[in-house]
Amino acid sequence: MAVCIAVIAKENYPLYIRSIPTENELKFHYTVHTSLDVVDEKISAMGKALVDQRELYLGLLYPTEDYKVYGYVTNSKVKFVMVVDSSNTALRDNEIRSMFRKLHNSYTDIMCNPFYNPGDRIHSRAFDNMVNSMMMQVC
Amino acid sequence: MSRPPARKQENHKISRELFVLTYGALVAQLCKDYEKDEDVNICLDRMGYSIGIRLIDDFLARSAVKKCRSYSETTDMIAQVAFKMYLGVTASVSCTSAAGNEFSLILDKNPLVDFVEELPAERASLCYCNLLCGVIRGALEMVHLAAEVTFLQDRLKGDAVTEIGITFLRKAEDRKHKR
Repeated sequence: MAVCIAVIAKENYPLYIRSIPTENELKFHYTVHTSLDVVDEKISAMGKALVDQRELYLGLLYPTEDYKVYGYVTNSKVKFVMVVDSSNTALRDNEIRSMFRKLHNSYTDIMCNPFYNPGDRIHSRAFDNMVNSMMMQVC
Repeated sequence: MSRPPARKQENHKISRELFVLTYGALVAQLCKDYEKDEDVNICLDRMGYSIGIRLIDDFLARSAVKKCRSYSETTDMIAQVAFKMYLGVTASVSCTSAAGNEFSLILDKNPLVDFVEELPAERASLCYCNLLCGVIRGALEMVHLAAEVTFLQDRLKGDAVTEIGITFLRKAEDRKHKR
């Protein structure tokens, strides 16, 4: 279960960012913003060696004391960043990968909507529902 | 421009996504060109009309159906055969008037709106699939049946199903009284 999910455009501005309601949501925004540097680092490091085999899933970007940040890049340079609670040790790599795959599928559905202009903020009920299902349940 | 007689029936299939995306791009471009929803609807209807007057010959040639004896037979033909042939879905027909000249087609699944979740807020009265209405109207007119075709319910606007209403205007020409 994620604590914060963000979709970042190719030009590094947010298309969609959603976190669980806490008193300091801005810290998630900062975390996602700083993780973009790590994403760029990973892309450029792998890019020169094996451009064809570069995987979309980037894995753990960096761990902080409370949270772990995972990244995923599509071939059109749209980035998905997921912040997960460190105390939630039950989450395995496979589950994170499948969450990213679901995000990617929903994102492509949105792109196919003829009324959506690429680069706009994402306002889609289906996408919201899918993200809600992935976020931690806060009673 | 007649087809060579020896050619057998070729059903060229294209990707469904390509067709749906093309239709979506068409509607999106019309929305950019016209400010009012009504203009977009009229434009889609006109386009559908010009498709329909040409499509009817292809339909009659490929399906080889017999002449329909009544309005309800005609509507059944549209719902079961034509929709299946061109869109891959069938619609259910119900007669909505006692006089027998108003029918409605209820579409369970509409492949044209596969990727559209809902209409944008500023386009609330847009009939996204108005092209279909024009196609039906044009096709019926080429077989000498004048009809009015409109959308009665639309899933994109929040209704439960998509319903197309067909109202036949004049009596079909009676072949027996040829001059």
